[in-house]
Amino acid sequence: MSVRHVLTTCPYCGTGCNFYLQVIDGRLTGVVPCKTDEISLGRLCIKGYNAHAFVQHADRLRHPMIRENGQLRKATWDQALDKIVGELKRIREKHGPDSIALLASAKCTNEENYVFQKLARAVIGTNNIDHCARLCHASTITGLVHSFGSGAMTNTIPEFDDADCILVTGSNTLEAHPIIGSRMLRAKEKGAKLIVVDPRDTPLSRISHIFLRQRPGTDIAWINGMLKVIIDEKLVNDDFVKSRTTAFEELEEAVKDYTPEKVELITGIPKEKLVEAARIYAKADKAMLAYAMGITQHSNGTNVVKAIANLAMATGHIGRESTGVNPLRGQCNVQGACDSGALPDLYPGYQRVDDEAVRAKFEKAWGISLPAKPGLTLTCATKEAAIGKLKAMVIFGENIMISDPDIGHVEEAVKELEFLVVSDIFMTGTAQLADVVLPAACYAEKDGTFTNTDRALRMLRKAIDAPGEAKADWVIACELGKKFGSNGFEFSSPAEIMAEMATVTPIYGGISHEKIDRGVVRWPCPTKEHPGTRILHAQEFTRGPGMFAPVQHAPAAETTSDEYPFILTTGRNLFQYHTGTMTRRSPKLEREAPEPYVEINRGDATRLGINDGDRVTVTSRRGSIALKARITQRIIPGTIFIPFHYAEAAANRLTNAALDPVSNIPELKVCAAKVAKA
Amino acid sequence: MKLAFEERGADYLLIMREEHGNVAPAMISKGESADSVRLDIPYQLVTILENIYPWLSKGKIAIITRRCDEKALAELVKRKYVDEKRIVKIGLACSEEQIKKCRCNDPVPSNVAVGEPHEGMKDDELALALSKRSPEDRFSFWVDQYKKCNKCFGCTLNCPVCFCDDDCVLEDRTFVAEPSVPPGLSFHMIRSFHMADKCIECGECERACPAEIPLLTMRKLLAKDMKEVFGFAPGDEKTVSPLNTTLEGEQLEDECDEC
Amino acid sequence: MTDFSPTILAFCCNWCSYAGADLAGVSRLQMPPNVHVVRVMCSASVKPEYVLKAISQGVDGVLVLGCHIGDCHYMTGNHRTAKRMPLVQRVLREVGIDERRLRLDWVSASEGEKFQKVVIEFVDEVTKLGPNPMRGVKF
Repeated sequence: MSVRHVLTTCPYCGTGCNFYLQVIDGRLTGVVPCKTDEISLGRLCIKGYNAHAFVQHADRLRHPMIRENGQLRKATWDQALDKIVGELKRIREKHGPDSIALLASAKCTNEENYVFQKLARAVIGTNNIDHCARLCHASTITGLVHSFGSGAMTNTIPEFDDADCILVTGSNTLEAHPIIGSRMLRAKEKGAKLIVVDPRDTPLSRISHIFLRQRPGTDIAWINGMLKVIIDEKLVNDDFVKSRTTAFEELEEAVKDYTPEKVELITGIPKEKLVEAARIYAKADKAMLAYAMGITQHSNGTNVVKAIANLAMATGHIGRESTGVNPLRGQCNVQGACDSGALPDLYPGYQRVDDEAVRAKFEKAWGISLPAKPGLTLTCATKEAAIGKLKAMVIFGENIMISDPDIGHVEEAVKELEFLVVSDIFMTGTAQLADVVLPAACYAEKDGTFTNTDRALRMLRKAIDAPGEAKADWVIACELGKKFGSNGFEFSSPAEIMAEMATVTPIYGGISHEKIDRGVVRWPCPTKEHPGTRILHAQEFTRGPGMFAPVQHAPAAETTSDEYPFILTTGRNLFQYHTGTMTRRSPKLEREAPEPYVEINRGDATRLGINDGDRVTVTSRRGSIALKARITQRIIPGTIFIPFHYAEAAANRLTNAALDPVSNIPELKVCAAKVAKA
Repeated sequence: MKLAFEERGADYLLIMREEHGNVAPAMISKGESADSVRLDIPYQLVTILENIYPWLSKGKIAIITRRCDEKALAELVKRKYVDEKRIVKIGLACSEEQIKKCRCNDPVPSNVAVGEPHEGMKDDELALALSKRSPEDRFSFWVDQYKKCNKCFGCTLNCPVCFCDDDCVLEDRTFVAEPSVPPGLSFHMIRSFHMADKCIECGECERACPAEIPLLTMRKLLAKDMKEVFGFAPGDEKTVSPLNTTLEGEQLEDECDEC
Repeated sequence: MTDFSPTILAFCCNWCSYAGADLAGVSRLQMPPNVHVVRVMCSASVKPEYVLKAISQGVDGVLVLGCHIGDCHYMTGNHRTAKRMPLVQRVLREVGIDERRLRLDWVSASEGEKFQKVVIEFVDEVTKLGPNPMRGVKF
């Protein structure tokens, strides 16, 4: 009898907790926390404790499938891969390499994403590679690259413990990043002041010291309002601003009209509370800013992120212990997928594809000429597919039929494609529309690395074999590369892939499986001897001086009207995860939150004659869904909230694919809707 | 040194060891080497034993047991979850540091194989402080603490005497009505009731709680109540829980598996 | 305080105390309002979880009435109850909720007057204790 406890990384959120998968005779029997793990401290959330539950589920895809006469039928690997290569070559011949797009996966490892983007660029000849970061933190990358030169979380998760003040906005931390939320609780026990800015009353806001409830889409207003208070009351960190930044005068000019009264009018935040919050944040010794989708998922998301950066720079709360700008990345490896270059305009390590010198370096490393033009973002790719310009998509581990905005159009786009390949672990709504479906291995069935939100490299260690004929995505991508005729895919292990990635990616220069096997290493880690970097921008920002950005409040792309009087905002709940492919197959998680629901304010519900538990339809200009009403004071009047996890009442049927022009992130947090009793 | 105990006839040994820069629980089979053993990280090996035991059709398991672990095993043996003939206990005496962290008043196992015995602590400071406060104050305190709960179920999953794995009442909205987090007071009061006649104060619940709720203190308060009301303390293999006996002390038949 | 009328949940076992409650009713014995009687087959089927849930949701007082010891229709049911309820009271006490909000008593089928007396006493006591502190708490 064999009992193994395999140390691996959680496949759910971007916190990147490590735990032991308990394997008894090849059966996954449970999860044991790792008491010496720096990130989790031996604790887990309910999803972490159930991370084993979906792995050996009966629904796992076990064989490749090819669509014939409208039906998906079982095929061999050779048949499936040959079909893929054949079709892609044909389409490339006829319509050019840019008629093909690849979607990498924030659920796949760094090694896999590196291979995906190499496949797209070096083999197919296109920069059309992107992944779901487009939906969540794309504006963080564009915003912070502008302000700081680097788009990543500037400090680390353990540092939350020692902050004097934590300002959390657009993040339901205790539900979306529970273990990071628990750090904030620890800080509070030690005396830290917790400020939460969110339209919804969340588990974190309930224990906060100051809770500001703003209308969705008004974040630049309150941030500028705080900046004005800080400037007027002489709370600016003048030393920092003078020595470390540039363009402060433009910022002063930009925020001069954002008086607390005006901000109250725009946002609904009482002016005294805004002033108090600004003072506490500015006067704190070590203040940390943490944010997530509430800040990023807007049609002006890049600007909102820049505003956040402004706040940190004006007060000097950056570049030191327990300070900084801390975007909480959602997926287990969305940070890593970005780091690995699964982006249309960036190679691994955030090096631009349209920079000649950089491209020359990669051409030399990979031995082939590479496309110069930045490719299509995910959100643009679906639009191009809808109008017939994009002909083929190869999707690794993403369920765009539930996770993308305005899925009515996504469906049209996908059906318009000539050829769709989906590699996944379960038959998702997206896989159901594919021409070829490939069975993939999940996190418990392969080696590799994830990079969590605080830039730490986390190891995945194989615990069990993949079911049936399922293969790890890196194996699939390499076999595709070889079948295409390339010789750049002769990898026999993920460690070898990381070794190659390290040679072309300066921030990962010193990373190797051997090194991170022994301890936590955060990038930048440029050389083998380098211990990794905890705090970014300590001496100077990546771009040199930090750049203030004079941004103004702008209304959301779709505002309410008589016909659609509610602001619809979407998000997550604790028990389910994203499109539910894993959590809905985990009995204890599904049991906690089995049904879709819409949160409605009590006053609004009474007006509409809706009681708790009634079936209602929620409609937007794009579609309609039916679900249960949950009456609560946790949402402000005039706003409703729907979690996006439930395929049977997909919130994204209603959302608006209005894109931020710089990052192409969609405005998932604000659209207009109406509610009626069903 | 620890391997010598396999001479007590064990086929497997549940222990902890260093791996990949961390400390992991491990089950070692007879004949396998056990290097980099660590005994200073308090994993709850009895809970892990419970996970493994149903799959272990034969053989004896040796397990490192602190005093609390011995008591936990006694509770399991009493309820026939585990056959004591198949368990070999290797007594570990806790360090002073660990005793302080657990506020432990009974830290020395019946047979000490590893570690230096130290004296236990008399009081849990927080329990003592709370006992001096008014009910309104204590209510306020516990409500504030329990409001931090995020339903990770770490307290139940890591508890060695929490064994209703698939039908835990805390997962039933009949008893914990809140649709989201935090769960209401019923979650914690029900847990307190269930644990009262079983808890052996290993402190794993408190260590596993991300919200750092002083769960061990509440367990100790209930332990005092059990003593006062029933003259009972969990942890020995003979004494049936007073919740399972008549007023005359006769064992009640177990119609259900609950207690 | 004087306007406060407590919400009381009374679990009564089918064979003894519920019959006693019936008798009290048939005999037109005056009893305070707001006492919600729930008939159960045996006081032992009153899981402590129900009592704790009721209190955590703001019920001001819970009364559990069973058969006299020795008279339980299921022989030992009331023994279980006799053991459990004092422990539930301690759980309440530890969390700062007055344990007098839970009362256990024995009422036989013929004790209509005892039923009335117990209810009046209990409602009186809970009224003096005031509203359940959980009423003011939002989780």
